[in-house]
Amino acid sequence: MALKKWLDRITLLDLFDGLSVTGRHLLKKKVTIEYPEQKKLPSDRFRGMFRLDEERCIKCTLCAIECPINIIYIDWHNEKDEQNKSVKVLDRFDVDLKRCMFCQLCEEACPTVPKSIWLTTKTYEMAAYDRNESLYLDIRKLTDWREAPNVKPFTVVERG
Amino acid sequence: MTLPPAFWTYLKVVLLVALVPAIVGFVVVLAERRLMGFMQARLGPNRVGPQGTLQGLADLLKLVTKEDITPSRAEKAVHSLAPVLAVIPALTALSVIPFGPPVRVGRTVVPLWVADVNIGLLFLLAITSIGVYGIILGGWSSNNKYSLLGGLRSAAQLVSYEVPMGLALVSVLLMTRSLSLVQSVRRQEAMHLWFVFPGLLAFFIYFVAGVAETNRNPFDLPEAESELVSGFNTEYSGVKFAFFFLGEYTAMIIISCVAVTVFFGGWLPPFPNVKALEFLWQVPPALWFLAKVAAFLFAYIWFRSTFPRYRFDQLMALGWKWLIPLALTNILLVAFAILLTPGWTTGLVWLGWTLGVLFVLAYLAAKLRQKLARRERLAAEPHPVEG
Repeated sequence: MALKKWLDRITLLDLFDGLSVTGRHLLKKKVTIEYPEQKKLPSDRFRGMFRLDEERCIKCTLCAIECPINIIYIDWHNEKDEQNKSVKVLDRFDVDLKRCMFCQLCEEACPTVPKSIWLTTKTYEMAAYDRNESLYLDIRKLTDWREAPNVKPFTVVERG
Repeated sequence: MTLPPAFWTYLKVVLLVALVPAIVGFVVVLAERRLMGFMQARLGPNRVGPQGTLQGLADLLKLVTKEDITPSRAEKAVHSLAPVLAVIPALTALSVIPFGPPVRVGRTVVPLWVADVNIGLLFLLAITSIGVYGIILGGWSSNNKYSLLGGLRSAAQLVSYEVPMGLALVSVLLMTRSLSLVQSVRRQEAMHLWFVFPGLLAFFIYFVAGVAETNRNPFDLPEAESELVSGFNTEYSGVKFAFFFLGEYTAMIIISCVAVTVFFGGWLPPFPNVKALEFLWQVPPALWFLAKVAAFLFAYIWFRSTFPRYRFDQLMALGWKWLIPLALTNILLVAFAILLTPGWTTGLVWLGWTLGVLFVLAYLAAKLRQKLARRERLAAEPHPVEG
């Protein structure tokens, strides 16, 4: 046993093994994603930016009730449409995004199929210089991101 | 018009001693960060300039513009002197390195070294050892316990590894019969033999001791970021820190240069004994020198990203219990090889073959044993759950 250990020692077996590991990594493909130029496609269940479909929404306010920190504010009133039927119309659907923790409970609470409010948009680039203006989303910004200039919808950039 | 010899000396001092370490330093700093990145499966700095080539310049700019801080209870004069002491000896040592054979410029023949000192190797050992004063004084004058520990470690390390390094070079002296570095290359040219071949052991000892003397991984105990908050240079910033940096990298360059000159035939192309490879002599000799030095610097970087740091007692054990006895044995081997065979070269060639073949056989045996042991272990273990 001792002889074997000595053989390993004088031939620097372990050191050469270590060098070969780093040597192989030198030539391997690198794992770095160079962010602004290359982007990683988020997974399908990735929780990112909100989106709201106003027509699907039945104004049940379950999402606002479910929200653990109460940052969804919904106001609505009744209106008569052409067939004289009573429909609910949204006055206000605000999400205070700056406090949101992206727990997705609002989406889970939504009873419509498909969901009226959802976070799986794969969009995560929404950094802003002011919190109260840019990170407070109203109906306009939730339904159309062009109204929220700090939100950049995800564009697929292949990894080089 | 012929220029006075003094002109060439000044020019060489500026170019070889001042400019070479600066330029090579830039390249090595970038190469180190990028290659280490590659070995860790990432990219390393590639933002400043194409592929990060200007990173060194950016680093320099940062260091120069930083505030120069001296701790309030530091020994001010020594604190300022230490970085200079770390750099100057290293730069001075470069003056005896032969970068290539004499070149013809017009009608003058200009040798590519500043001085061919006839005690070149001794001079190198002496001068490079002064560099450690910079580290010790820097650590002591900072009035910081961690820095002081770093400096002390450096002193102990240098004392321990100077011995095997000197002994390793003694065995080369037996082959060269001269302390001059230029003579050492000429001798290898005349013998058609790189001294690394018979001096395999000597080279190994020299390089390990060299890595230890330059305080690089795996012997970077004076810095030891994780234990000593970067050790002797904790209290340094700005230009003074840059000086320590330059000193360390110049020391690396010198160790590589000496290894190339003494063991790897200096400016000679590879395999000077093989007739079929004579076309290699067409390449400018200085380029061969640079290429070999680059290979050594690469080895430094490779070691750094591979080996974990030695414990202090392990470091001492390696130096005193392994390298010094090994170096002494090697001197005896080389001396007997020269004495017991006719001529100067035969014995050395035989020694080279014997050592080389023995090592390869031992390595293969060890590798085979490792493989067999692994297979046995895997067979004994229950197979991981299937299905």
